[in-house]
Amino acid sequence: MIDRKHPIIQVKNLYKIYRVGETRVHALDGVDFTIYKGEFCAIVGPSGSGKSTLLNMLAGLEKPTKGQIVIDNIHIENMTENQLVEFRRKRVGFIFQSYNLLQTMNAVENVALPLSFRGVPKKKRNEIAARYLKMVGLEKQMKHMANAMSGGQQQRVGIARALAVNPKIIFADEPTGNLDSKTTLEILRLMRRIVQEQNQTLVMVTHDNNLASYADRQFHIVDGKIVRIVEKKEADEENAAPGDGADEPAVGGTLDLAADIDEENLKAEGVKE
Amino acid sequence: MRFLDLLSMSISNLKRRKMRTFLTVLGVIIGTASVVIMVSLGIGLNDLMMEQYSSYGDMTMITVYTNGYYGGGQDVDESKFLTDDTMKQMAAIDHVTGVSPMLRADVVMKQGAYYCSSSITGVSREYLEKIPLGQGELAAADDDELKFYYGNKVIVRFSNEKTGAGYYDNEELPPVDFMGKPMFVIFDTNAYWQTRWNSADTTVKPPKKYMIKTGGMVEGEFTDYNNYSYGIYCDVELLKQQLKMIFKKKPIPRQPTNSKGKPYSYFVYDQIMVFVDDMENVTTVQQQLSDMGYQTNSQMEWIEQAQQTYGMVQLVLGGIGAISLFVAAIGIANTMMMSIYERTKEIGVIKVLGCDMRNIRNMFLLESGFIGFMGGVVGLGISYGVGYAMNHFLSLGQMMMGVAGDISRIPFWLAGGAIIFAILVGMLAGFFPSLRAMHLSPLAAIRNE
Repeated sequence: MIDRKHPIIQVKNLYKIYRVGETRVHALDGVDFTIYKGEFCAIVGPSGSGKSTLLNMLAGLEKPTKGQIVIDNIHIENMTENQLVEFRRKRVGFIFQSYNLLQTMNAVENVALPLSFRGVPKKKRNEIAARYLKMVGLEKQMKHMANAMSGGQQQRVGIARALAVNPKIIFADEPTGNLDSKTTLEILRLMRRIVQEQNQTLVMVTHDNNLASYADRQFHIVDGKIVRIVEKKEADEENAAPGDGADEPAVGGTLDLAADIDEENLKAEGVKE
Repeated sequence: MRFLDLLSMSISNLKRRKMRTFLTVLGVIIGTASVVIMVSLGIGLNDLMMEQYSSYGDMTMITVYTNGYYGGGQDVDESKFLTDDTMKQMAAIDHVTGVSPMLRADVVMKQGAYYCSSSITGVSREYLEKIPLGQGELAAADDDELKFYYGNKVIVRFSNEKTGAGYYDNEELPPVDFMGKPMFVIFDTNAYWQTRWNSADTTVKPPKKYMIKTGGMVEGEFTDYNNYSYGIYCDVELLKQQLKMIFKKKPIPRQPTNSKGKPYSYFVYDQIMVFVDDMENVTTVQQQLSDMGYQTNSQMEWIEQAQQTYGMVQLVLGGIGAISLFVAAIGIANTMMMSIYERTKEIGVIKVLGCDMRNIRNMFLLESGFIGFMGGVVGLGISYGVGYAMNHFLSLGQMMMGVAGDISRIPFWLAGGAIIFAILVGMLAGFFPSLRAMHLSPLAAIRNE
């Protein structure tokens, strides 16, 4: 359920300029967009396009050179490191490409970890963690250590961990980058389903156009600029491709189709600006 | 983040690298143990020394004496005589709890075939009360019979009157019985020696012998030594009466005479003992006494010197121990740095997940503090073990100081202080690594290697 009246992320005129020796590299070159509550957005682009830099800045891991980032009505562009940590603790969930579970902990403890940073007592946070693990379908692996699980299972734990703190936004950085295509689809559908059920906002970074097509909106980014914003509706109408996401279409076909469509779209629309 | 959660995270991190943790802790164990053992030895040496000095006699006593008037006649400074009046002045000084005269008289004592030429000391009742008696007991204050109290080593000075053989000649104790048999005492020793060596000279009458009762014996065997071992003591007032009765108008031996060779109307004491309320005040009182123009002497002079020496010894010993603890601290810092390098990604992850920076710092401080704590506890245990071994199996105290007693002493403050110090060393060593961990970039979590 996308609530167009409640913008949760507002980015205005965002620049990130790195200095590499004498030359200046514009990782982000004037980016503007708004993401609303309940949206599943994908930031798509080839490597080096600045999509990861954008995500890092949205999550408060890096500071912008210029511009504004307003998340949940709070300006984060000028926060100190301490304030950013507090901001993440209270409002942000994060899903990593390489899962980044703590190897010394089992599934429940990993999911409960961000709650412990909030000072939630052990008993209570383990209850919450168990509930979210059930939601991602891991009720049988609760006591498994992180390294005793498959990649897909680990990423499910990662998703549960991001959800457990009930954040305003969840960021996912190439969440399926280390998974095979079958597991990739499972994880994507899981994320899709949970975003809808929990009415969460999810921002996912990916280099893969097919995966991006699962999102409500896709921000295509090339050389630090947003070149195209694709809404799912139009994508559906125009191409009638990935169905309604949560269903089970012919997996391989969908992916192939989506790939073709995206390339065509790119050619057709050219460079917007 | 709750303290218990922090602690359990720190401990689980230490458990993860058991071998490395063990080796780091081992460094702290050795460091703590060497500091504690060294300091305990220093304390033991110091205490043994104090015990030794106090066994020699009262540490709060000052001896006051004045320079020669024995020549008699010439150059006698009457103002420096130690008399009852000077005693009163000294008693008035702050912190002085009592004074006692020391009036010496030469005597010859005889029992059976054995004799001994010695001097006896007349002292106040206060002084007599301080003498630790092994046999007999101090006479009542109103007892007006002169009684002698013999030191436990006096017996070795007796020898056979005819053969001259004594303890030092044949290593046999003379069969002198102070407590059981009567002792005959000659006060006019000049007459004794003249009649003994010049028996031809009949102008000198053999001196009169007096039977003097023994009041008691200083405690200890004749091999033990203390401050009273060689002395023969009696009440000073009774001794004065006795001397007056024997010598009448004649000058009393050892007493000064004026320029005309006449005795004074009062007794002049050899020494005055001044008793001070506390060891700390001995030096001050002693200074005042020497300002009055007298020579003084006390055990404190020696003790202060010895304490300075042992203070140095303690410092050196502690320093040696501290070096190993310092090396252990470097070990901790190194371990923490390594651990932070290894966990760069993990630290990044928990930072992305919203772990407060102070919590990250505290987590590492707790880790290094815990290393210090474990090392401190085990090191202290080892110190107790080594100290026990030194005290009970090696009897080092006997070897080094000649006194029986524990040479390694670990008082409560040392035990508690050692553990707290070890924790502090650990935390201090972990401080800069933990700051580094705190400022690591959360972006490390994003990178994929």
